[in-house]
Formats: sequence, C-alpha cells, structure tokens
Amino acid sequence: MTNGHRVLSDLQAELIRRQLPSGGWAALLSSPQSALEPTCYSVLAFGPRSAPVLEHAQDFLLRGQNANGSWPVFSGDDRDGSWVTSLVAIALRDLVPAIPARLKGFVWLLRTAGEESNWLWKWKFRTVDRHVRFDPDKYGWPWVPDTVSWVVPTSFAILALKQLPCTCGGLERIPLRIDCGVQMLLDRACPGGGWNAGNGVVYGEPVAPHADDTSVALIALSDRAQDPVVRAGVEYLERVASSLSAPWSLAWAILALAAHHRPIASLQTSLAALPDLGKTEDTSTLALICLALDHQHALAAFGVTV
Amino acid sequence: MSVTRRDFLIGSAALAAGASVSAPFFLPKYHSDRRPRRSRVAVLHVERYSQQIDQILAEGLRLFPINVRGKAVVLKPNLVDYLPGNAINTHPLLVLAAAESFRRVGARSVVVAEGPGHQRDTQLVLSQSGYQESLRDEKIRFVDLNRDELIRAPLRASYTGMRDLWLPRTVLEADYLVSMPKIKAHHWSGVTLSMKNMFGVVPGARYGWPKNILHWKGIQESILDLCATVPIHFVIADGIVAMEGNGPLNGTSRHFGKIVLADDPIAADATCARLMGFDPRRIVHIREGARFLGNAAPGYIDQVAENVAAPASPFRVVPEFLNLYAR
Repeated sequence: MTNGHRVLSDLQAELIRRQLPSGGWAALLSSPQSALEPTCYSVLAFGPRSAPVLEHAQDFLLRGQNANGSWPVFSGDDRDGSWVTSLVAIALRDLVPAIPARLKGFVWLLRTAGEESNWLWKWKFRTVDRHVRFDPDKYGWPWVPDTVSWVVPTSFAILALKQLPCTCGGLERIPLRIDCGVQMLLDRACPGGGWNAGNGVVYGEPVAPHADDTSVALIALSDRAQDPVVRAGVEYLERVASSLSAPWSLAWAILALAAHHRPIASLQTSLAALPDLGKTEDTSTLALICLALDHQHALAAFGVTV
Repeated sequence: MSVTRRDFLIGSAALAAGASVSAPFFLPKYHSDRRPRRSRVAVLHVERYSQQIDQILAEGLRLFPINVRGKAVVLKPNLVDYLPGNAINTHPLLVLAAAESFRRVGARSVVVAEGPGHQRDTQLVLSQSGYQESLRDEKIRFVDLNRDELIRAPLRASYTGMRDLWLPRTVLEADYLVSMPKIKAHHWSGVTLSMKNMFGVVPGARYGWPKNILHWKGIQESILDLCATVPIHFVIADGIVAMEGNGPLNGTSRHFGKIVLADDPIAADATCARLMGFDPRRIVHIREGARFLGNAAPGYIDQVAENVAAPASPFRVVPEFLNLYAR
C-alpha cells in the first residue's frame, strides 16, 4: 500500500467520522450546520463503495431540494436556490431514484443566468460601467440569483448540464446555454493565462489568476484542449502547481492537469505528504484531497474521460 | 429586440433608482443612533514591521479605557488575497501583537477571523501571507468566516433594501470585535478602512466570491448596513505600509509609518481619511455613518498620541474618486 493509498483510506475514515446525523457534512469541523458543497464532494469522494454512508448522504441531498428545483447552500438556507444545484446534480448522477430531482434541477439551471444576460444590464456594462473588461453577451451562471456570472458556478453548471443524456422535454436550449457558458469562460480568462473569480482586467490592469478557479474552469473546458485560452490556462497551472502549499488548490490542480493529460504523480505524492491532513478544519478540502488521490474516479464523476 | 413585461418592470425600477441616485442618503435609514458622546483616536508612528510592534501596540492600547476581561474577542484583519510585494493584507505581526495584548488584559478568548473576498482557498492566503505559521506558533485559533456556521441576522439599517443577511456565528456572538484594516485606496469604495473591512464577515460560501451581492446592492449602502448590524468595538488600522491607487489588490505600496487606534469606527476612518489627504465628508459611508454610528467631526474626537496632518502628497486614487481630495 502506497502512502497515497494510506492517506486516502485515512481521510475517507475521517470523513465518515464527520458525517452529521442529518446525513450531510458541515463546511467546518467546528460547525454543526449541514452544508451542501462539502456533502457533494464527500459523496463523490466515496463513490459507489460505501453504501450506508452514501445512502444517508444522498437521502439528505434529495430531502434538501427546494420547491423550484434548486438546492440551497446549507440546511435552513433561503429557498431561492444557489450554485450548488450543479454540484448536487453531479453528486447524484448514479442514483436512479434521483432522476426526477435532477431533471428539476436542470430546469432551474436553464432558467438561471447571470444578470448581464438581461438587455438592461448589458446596456449598463457597455456604456456606464466599463471598469471590468468583459463581454456581457457571453454569460453563464451566478453564485446566487440576481447577480452576474462567475467562473466557478459557470464551470460547475457546464459540467452538470453536459451529463444530461438528452436535451428534450423543455431542455432543448441546454446546448446553447452550455456554449454561451463556455464562451463566457474563455472571455473572462486572465491575460497571462488562467482564471480568477471572473475579473481578468480591472481598471485596465490585469488581475492575477487563482489556481483553484483555473482548475475548475479547465475541468469544465477539458474538451477544448486546443483552444489557446485553455492552453494558456494549463501552462499557468503547470507553472504554479508544484509551489502550492495548501491542499485545496493543490487537489484541484491535480484534477485539472489530469483532465488535460498532464503528469500528476509527483503532485499527488506532494499532496499526500502534506502534514496533518486529517486535522484539516475544512471538510470540502478533506474530500477534495480524496478526489485528487483517486483522480480517475473523480474525473469520471465530473464526466471527464482520461 | 422584444421587451417582456419583466424587462419593462426592471427598466422602470432602474429608471426610478437612477432618478434617486443623487439623493439616496437624504432620509435616515438607520434604526438607532449609536453615536458615543465623544470618541478617541490615537495615531502612532511606527516606522516598520518588527517585533517591537508588540510593545508599541500595548502602550497605544493603554491610552484607551479598554475592558475585555472575560470577553470573547474577535480580531478581524483585512486578508483578501496574496500577491508578492503588494501591501494587500493586514500584516500578521500586528495581528499577533493585538492578540497578545488582548490576552494580557484578560480576554476569555481571542480568535482571528476573516473571509477573504477574492481567494476561495483561505488556507493558501493564510500560508502565503505568513499567518498560518504565526497563528499556529502562538496557538491562536483562526475561523474561516467564508465557511463558518451561519445565522440569519436582521439588518439594523436599510440602505440596501435587504432585510437580513446570513452572517457567521463567530462574529455575531463576539463580545468584542476589533476591525483591523489595511489602510488602502479602493477602486470601488474610495477607501478601505475599518468599515469597508467588514465585507469580510459576509460568507463567500453563501454569497460567492467576490461578494457580488454587496456590489449589486450598493457598496456604500452595504457598508452601512453591515456596520449597523455588526458593531465594531475597536479599530487597529495598519498603515505602516499602506496602498494607494488601484486598490484593493493592484495598487501601489506606500510607506506611511502609522497605526491608527480608535474606539469608534467612524472616528477611525475619518481620521485615516484625513491622514490620506481626503475629506471624510466626501466618502459616502463615513459621512452617512457619522449620522448614527460614530463621530467624524474633529470636535467630537479626542486625539491622542500624534497629531493628524494631511500628507505632503495625498494618496493616489482612481479617477472616479478624485473628488475625495481635501481642498
């Protein structure tokens, strides 16, 4: 058994210990509040192997769906929906009884768009509010309704919608939305390669990319490897990956580089060797480390073939 | 182009909002007047970041009648992102010195808490900016406010029109909240000082990165609603190396040599603005905050330690904020 396998096994055991009675996981070890992002990553981290843990978690996710088809950020949240809807749709992909819930989620995603998709805000961003450089014709998904599109929620929405087997029954616009989202990601890239939250240039000055945002975008764009913007993103990530000192960013970088067929073995070794991983306060990070150490399974869950 | 009923309603609302844009602050939108009768501000000259900050800060804090015995103290630094060479974040040495000072005077607990507004990987920002190791060595707990347990908090002012926000339990249950901003010019809000620093308490996990909803609801308005809802008990502003120009990330570092302490965030920010060469009455959230949150007028501020004087050359700002300069 390699150190990577040992770490993966230990962290999965730690995740089981952290599962809350609700079936979900909290964002932080110190919190009793079930949150959907760490729950989704945890579900993906176990795959189909840990039946009781998974069933409890999947049941938690299904119970938490909002009436409008979306999912909230945490238990007790407002019911108008959030970006984690995409992540839940991905986490429930193998569960046959979840098909109706996922379809409702897809319909909600189709109805949801960044505010710049509205003609009034397009006009505003073209005329009076031009400090952030972007093309408002290219829009994706917001973190929460009634705000503009950002890189991470758009990337996850693209990954989720690509998993839909057919685009019939009211979902015919999905290919168009996916394409618009892809164009938005390409438009929002940082000039030197990579992505941050979605502000590539502000007041005429380039803003630095982030490894984790870049990685999520690159996974969503894994079928666009020849695009110069994607290539620049991969090159940026290759440059910085070995210097990443925090497990969240390093784990995302491993997944993205694997999705683009780049070598990751030494990065996985570095990740597994980081000290005190089991004591990581942030549960999403813990689950992400598991995903990065089992990257083929993780990328399959995101619909990416390697 | 077809215009739907929804578009028409949005358009009408936008026109109405536009018509009122020059006068959004004529009517009071706060629930209670919390201004103290007098406020106290100390400007300390500190040439550089060094181990001596501990002693300088302890002496500075003795200029205030601070009583934190048995209280849960939360230090809220400005920790946004990390770019080598850019003075973006409150320096960790100042935060450690503050933690040590509050422990020494009997605080029940001292935690450092922040929710970075640009970078989702909080641990990466902590590690790159020198916080992680320092906090671990000094056994100081850090709470990631982007992911802390959330409680629905009714807003105690209505500048944004929002009725409530989900805010972190750590902040809402603090007995004594210390805002520790980096003194910076800011391309959206003019300045980022103790009040703007409170954007960091809004959880990214709920509202996203950056905290875009606050921009949509109005930055100045959001600052006011937040500061009305989450009271700042004390301010320790890091201006040893400050930032001017295109802040909060891409501005230019400026050696300023000052730490500003205050028992009132409005007094702190008004003083910092004067030190930067700005007229605080032209900074909307300071001017409006002076109606109910604290004192901006020098006549209500007891100035201790150094005198307040405008710099020989004021802080550079983006063109939209040239009107801030004191004349």
